[in-house]
Amino acid sequence: MAKLEATKSIENGSHQRKNTVKDFVFKYLLLSLALLGAMMIVFIFIFILSKSWSVLRASGLGFITDGGFSKQISTSYNLSPAEQTFKFGALGLLTATILSTVGALILAIPVGIASAIIICEFSHRAFGTFLQSVIRLLACIPSIIYGLIGLMVVVPFIKETFIFPQLQIQYLSDPVLRMQLSGKSLLAGIIVLAIMIMPTITALSADAIRAVPKNYKEAGLAMGLSHWRVVSRIIIPAARSGIFAGIILAAGRGTGEAIALSMVAGGISNVPQLSHGGVFFLTPVLTLASAIVNKSEAMSVPAIQSALFSCGVILLLTSVIFSLSTKLVEHTVRSSK
Amino acid sequence: MNKLLRDSIMKNLCYFACIITISICAGIILYVFIKGYSQITPKFLFSEPTPTFSEKNAGGISTPIIGTILLTLIGTAIAFPWGLASALYLTNYAPKGKVMNMFNLAIEVLAGVPTIVIAIFGLAIFTNPMFGFLSSKVEGVEGISKAFGRSFLVAGITMGIMILPYIIKTCIEAIKSVPPSYMEASYALGAGKRQGIMKVLIPASKNGIITAIILGMGRIIGDTAIVWLTLGGTLRMTGIQPWFMPENYLSTLTNTGSTLTSYIFYTSPAGEGNMPSVSFGASLVLIIIIILLNLVTDYVGSIGKLKGVDE
Repeated sequence: MAKLEATKSIENGSHQRKNTVKDFVFKYLLLSLALLGAMMIVFIFIFILSKSWSVLRASGLGFITDGGFSKQISTSYNLSPAEQTFKFGALGLLTATILSTVGALILAIPVGIASAIIICEFSHRAFGTFLQSVIRLLACIPSIIYGLIGLMVVVPFIKETFIFPQLQIQYLSDPVLRMQLSGKSLLAGIIVLAIMIMPTITALSADAIRAVPKNYKEAGLAMGLSHWRVVSRIIIPAARSGIFAGIILAAGRGTGEAIALSMVAGGISNVPQLSHGGVFFLTPVLTLASAIVNKSEAMSVPAIQSALFSCGVILLLTSVIFSLSTKLVEHTVRSSK
Repeated sequence: MNKLLRDSIMKNLCYFACIITISICAGIILYVFIKGYSQITPKFLFSEPTPTFSEKNAGGISTPIIGTILLTLIGTAIAFPWGLASALYLTNYAPKGKVMNMFNLAIEVLAGVPTIVIAIFGLAIFTNPMFGFLSSKVEGVEGISKAFGRSFLVAGITMGIMILPYIIKTCIEAIKSVPPSYMEASYALGAGKRQGIMKVLIPASKNGIITAIILGMGRIIGDTAIVWLTLGGTLRMTGIQPWFMPENYLSTLTNTGSTLTSYIFYTSPAGEGNMPSVSFGASLVLIIIIILLNLVTDYVGSIGKLKGVDE
């Protein structure tokens, strides 16, 4: 009897030991996978910086203050490895990225927030839910489809309404900035980008508006305010951090959008000149992200590869700043509560 | 009176904006349906694309569809176990406070990185000769051997990295929505932490985890930048032909091909093909896949809600 119990306890012990080993392995397996995932952002920084170093070192600050990226790419493509200067200037790409994103935000923010207000507050409940699911779906539609529609609808529309043969001839013979106005332009980029980021802004604003506690609205109505007043003076201010987070997310999507903009924005690096008047919006541009797609076929040349990775560095820094500012907004809201 | 007038103007402007939004939404979906509908025939869906400039001989989209499925499977197979494990660590083991915040921040920042940057990151890593087995080796000009860095495996792994933060975030939410009493009950029955996680926590958060997988799949299916850079811009499967024979699977996976998105890019006026009607056909197929995935997500979400009622 005693012997039996002894063997039992030994078995138990080995069983337990096996279990602790398993627990240990399980825990550290999870830890290592989580660490690898969190380290990924560090790896991305290291690899992209190391690949872009030769251009960033040679161009220095000139990379963001000089223009003429397209021309530099095509000359660099024809040079032999010994003649490469590694000097590039991405001012055109930078201004195009900022202009297209800001333009798209100016168009999309009012429309997006207004739609969110209508969906959440001023429409029949079932209809509002239906609308919200449609907008969710629209936020999931791949950017290539927006690009295709932009190319087939928006670009011809711009060409027919704004660009006349006379204007085209004038710009083709321009001695300083010779370019072809084909409808693929900053304006097309702004419109396509605005349509792309509007569902994101609407969906996140609607979520933020829904998250406002019911008693805020009830208190406002009890004070005798009209429904519209309650929405504009109480609900929107209360939901502003969520709306702001949506706008930052949309801005991040806009700056990082590569494919759709490479299809509709023209693909020539160019700093639009304010002195041209309305033609400012009709000139072809190239953004940082779409430059990587457009010039990817020339990547076999080390200098060009390094220049494209430098564009990646700027995009990466921008996205980090956007993510950190979202965190900051969340943090200030939490501490103020 | 003046104020009331201003209010009503503002309100009507909001209605107007909402109508614009709805008409754009409906317009985009209807436009693709009308333009792509006539293209969808069994021949279009089940034949291989042919490199040509005439739309009549353009062939179909069988290999792009297979390419999309392959990439989705590889990407999910990598990101799902990785993301679930990270989420489990962060919710159950990670010390609260600084460590947790660092992890969350890293994931948040990774989620904000544009896909084009992740694409060139994938290219930077996998053109390393060390990873030559994932694609093919190329002899460089000066005799330096380099990896080609473009193949289904490379693109799949890069896709996995791209969707990892989304899977982690959605899984964390799913795990957090399980009431703590579940784990407490499993401890009370004498189960350890590992057993509790495997037998109680994961089954209880199953619906949320499935949602995470579907969301990740949707992002892989819709992505073009990673496909264009790390899968190569080829229209057909470039492995040993016929690519669909089981004995050639490794050659198919380590060579280039196309997906629906890269096919649309290639055949659109922006690409080399310039056959818009064919690319609208492929767009319609892509939109239908995305709509189906959305419906499945809604369905899975509604199961979870029904179960939540009787608690």
